[in-house]
Amino acid sequence: MSIKDPFAEGLARGWKAHNASLLTEDLTLEADIAIVGSGAGGATSAEILSAAGYKVLLIEEGGLFTSTDFKMQESDAYPTLYQESAGRASKDGAVLILQGRAVGGTTLVNWTSSFRTPEHTLQHWASEHAVIGHSREQMAPWFARMEQRLGIARWGLPPNDNNDVLRKGCEQLGLHWAVIPRNVRGCWNLGYCGLGCPTNAKQSMLVTCIPSLLEQGGELLYLARAQRLLLEGDRVSGIECLAMDERCVAPTGHRIRVRARHYILAGGGINTPAILMRSDAPDPHKRAGKRTYLHPTTSAWGQFEQTINPFYGAPQSIYSDHFLWPDDSATGRMGYKLEVPPLQPGFTASMLGDFGQPHAALMKQLPNSNMMIALLRDGFHPDSAEGTVQLRDDGSPVLDYQLTDYTWEAVRRSHLTMLELQFAAGARAAAPLHNDAELVTSMQAARRMIDGLDQRRYKTRLGSAHVMGGCAMGEDPSQAVTDSLGRHHQLENLSIHDGSLFPTSVGANPQLSIYALTAKLSSLLAERLAG
Amino acid sequence: MTTSVRGDSHIGRRQLLKIGLTGTALLASAGGIATLSGCAADRPAESFVQLRDSDLPLLRRLIPVVLDGSLPTTDQQQAIDTILQSIDSALNHMPPHMLKQFMQLFDLLASSITRGPTTGVWRSWDKADDQTVQAFLQRWENSSFDLFQQGYNALTKPILIAWYTAPQSWGSCGYPGPPAI
Ligand SMILES: Cc1cc2nc3c(=O)[nH]c(=O)nc-3n(C[C@H](O)[C@H](O)[C@H](O)COP(=O)(O)OP(=O)(O)OC[C@H]3O[C@@H](n4cnc5c(N)ncnc54)[C@H](O)[C@@H]3O)c2cc1C
Ligand code: SF4
Repeated sequence: MSIKDPFAEGLARGWKAHNASLLTEDLTLEADIAIVGSGAGGATSAEILSAAGYKVLLIEEGGLFTSTDFKMQESDAYPTLYQESAGRASKDGAVLILQGRAVGGTTLVNWTSSFRTPEHTLQHWASEHAVIGHSREQMAPWFARMEQRLGIARWGLPPNDNNDVLRKGCEQLGLHWAVIPRNVRGCWNLGYCGLGCPTNAKQSMLVTCIPSLLEQGGELLYLARAQRLLLEGDRVSGIECLAMDERCVAPTGHRIRVRARHYILAGGGINTPAILMRSDAPDPHKRAGKRTYLHPTTSAWGQFEQTINPFYGAPQSIYSDHFLWPDDSATGRMGYKLEVPPLQPGFTASMLGDFGQPHAALMKQLPNSNMMIALLRDGFHPDSAEGTVQLRDDGSPVLDYQLTDYTWEAVRRSHLTMLELQFAAGARAAAPLHNDAELVTSMQAARRMIDGLDQRRYKTRLGSAHVMGGCAMGEDPSQAVTDSLGRHHQLENLSIHDGSLFPTSVGANPQLSIYALTAKLSSLLAERLAG
Repeated sequence: MTTSVRGDSHIGRRQLLKIGLTGTALLASAGGIATLSGCAADRPAESFVQLRDSDLPLLRRLIPVVLDGSLPTTDQQQAIDTILQSIDSALNHMPPHMLKQFMQLFDLLASSITRGPTTGVWRSWDKADDQTVQAFLQRWENSSFDLFQQGYNALTKPILIAWYTAPQSWGSCGYPGPPAI
């Protein structure tokens, strides 16, 4: 293989990267700014702050894997690149929660869809959550900047046949659809973005902001879990990190003490509030970990006459927002964004219910099948579920997330929508992913079946690849953990720069929302620290 | 039916299981019953890092039932061995809380005291026929107790993932494998 591995080359040139699993004694590291988490928010912040002249240390719990490690194998990717071996779930086990855990964070495994924060969402945050300064006009230059930085542009090749089902269905029914902007440069259209991009085409943090941090003399510490913040009065005085073994399963026993002038938490949803909770950080209104939202995601399986090969080709290239704001408002009925996921066989097999012959019969149809997903926009309506982060006895976090009737109504609606689209696109048979659902061959039969489905946890197969909130921003300290600039309301030299800042779900795949917001917050932080 | 109801309510109250893509099980005190009965050896079985001798009969019976229709009929034992190795490796990469939950679930199912009432499998796993194992899985899937519904996922998902991420399975689902680059 002649594909370059720029990260490996950088390391060979002398980039400063500490592998904590190899430590034979405790270590102390110092920097101007210490950032926990090397994903969308953390790495974006690291690049900007180090370009502004600060000495930045980027701390990551997961391992370091680069393009030569990515062999497009699910069996390699899930245990190494995902939180809890891709087995994270809500506390009751009803919702699968996918998040990344490696240098590059979730950007290493995400599917490259890049949307600006919807205007409805920004307005809702301003009017309901006292967020100031992030209107569409005020955010526009930051979106533009990060789009340019990460090569974000509408996908130029034809969609793969899996995505084309969504396009065709929408065309047939006269619904909105559009081509997805992706953060790629020179993409080979392979379809394995979820397992680590083997060609470095995906402009994840691993090939963009982290190399630029290291090139500027910044440092990376990986396989190190930020266990807790050390506090002195209303200031953070250090971070205590645990060195992890090379599997990233158990602490080795060595510790890394980090000292800095300013600290940024960017561990992502669930993980960032957990650091605050483990640290007993001041939280007079008990806000840390509250208002954590997913895009609870429902799915539907459609079988076609023609070959689709849904495991190949850019995973997401077509979307529909037709059902996103059903009452043209943020607080009406719950809306959903429609997309498709890539269908490598392990992922597919675990999503489909059932076992034995019926399961095998579905899997046999994989090359002729499409999966559609509806991302439900949770957290806007007062009747939405409020996800809450809790700590287990061992200090690891878990998300308590109970769907409400308000959400279940949308679950049912989304099942109907997706089957209607699949049939309109020519499906021979289709079924929503629900333990009691059966393949049906007409919309009439689909309606009858879906009306009768018992929509409840475990029966309805739900997942989410998007975790948002838990350290909400906003000017009212009784509601929010940070102000609108990500500054912790109680701790002076602590900021939060990741998806946990959002007061609700985004209503779109969140990465670009995180890049743009944290780019803005970091630029302002750089000015404040200088002044 | 009576036994199954008794089994259900007995464990239902003690419950708590979690499932994700790989399936996770947390049996707060249900696992404790099994452990008390003394069935759990904590040493791994030969050629495994995490799986213990007591886990193997259960998994060897579950795998061909969960994968019926996809496992090859020739060399089936070899396929099952591959899946066991893959499950073992998955367990070995799980965070400690999740590994513990799986081990507790396996203990619950392996113990002669808890196996019968919770699963309806009254004889040892290696003597259970396909229908009995199927009936057990269906009963857990459709149970009104969270514990069993979660347990159903926790048992089936790791097997499905272990198999369908292995190249040996790809012929059965028409997946040509990753492209050469
Ligand atoms: C399969 C999948 C597909 C996706 N596809 C898309 C997509 O197409 N488009 C899109 O917009 N979004 C997508 N997303 C979601 C998107 O990538 C994430 O929302 C985004 O990356 C979150 O950014 P973040 O900065 O909040 O956290 P992350 O990117 O998750 O980064 C957080 C990092 O912090 C580390 N960390 C956590 N706690 C600690 C600690 N205590 N100590 C040290 N390190 C710690 C974690 O290991 C992780 O690496 C996808 C997600 C998944 C899982
Ligand atoms: S589709 Fe493009 S970005 Fe995704 S893995 Fe393949 S080459 Fe990389």
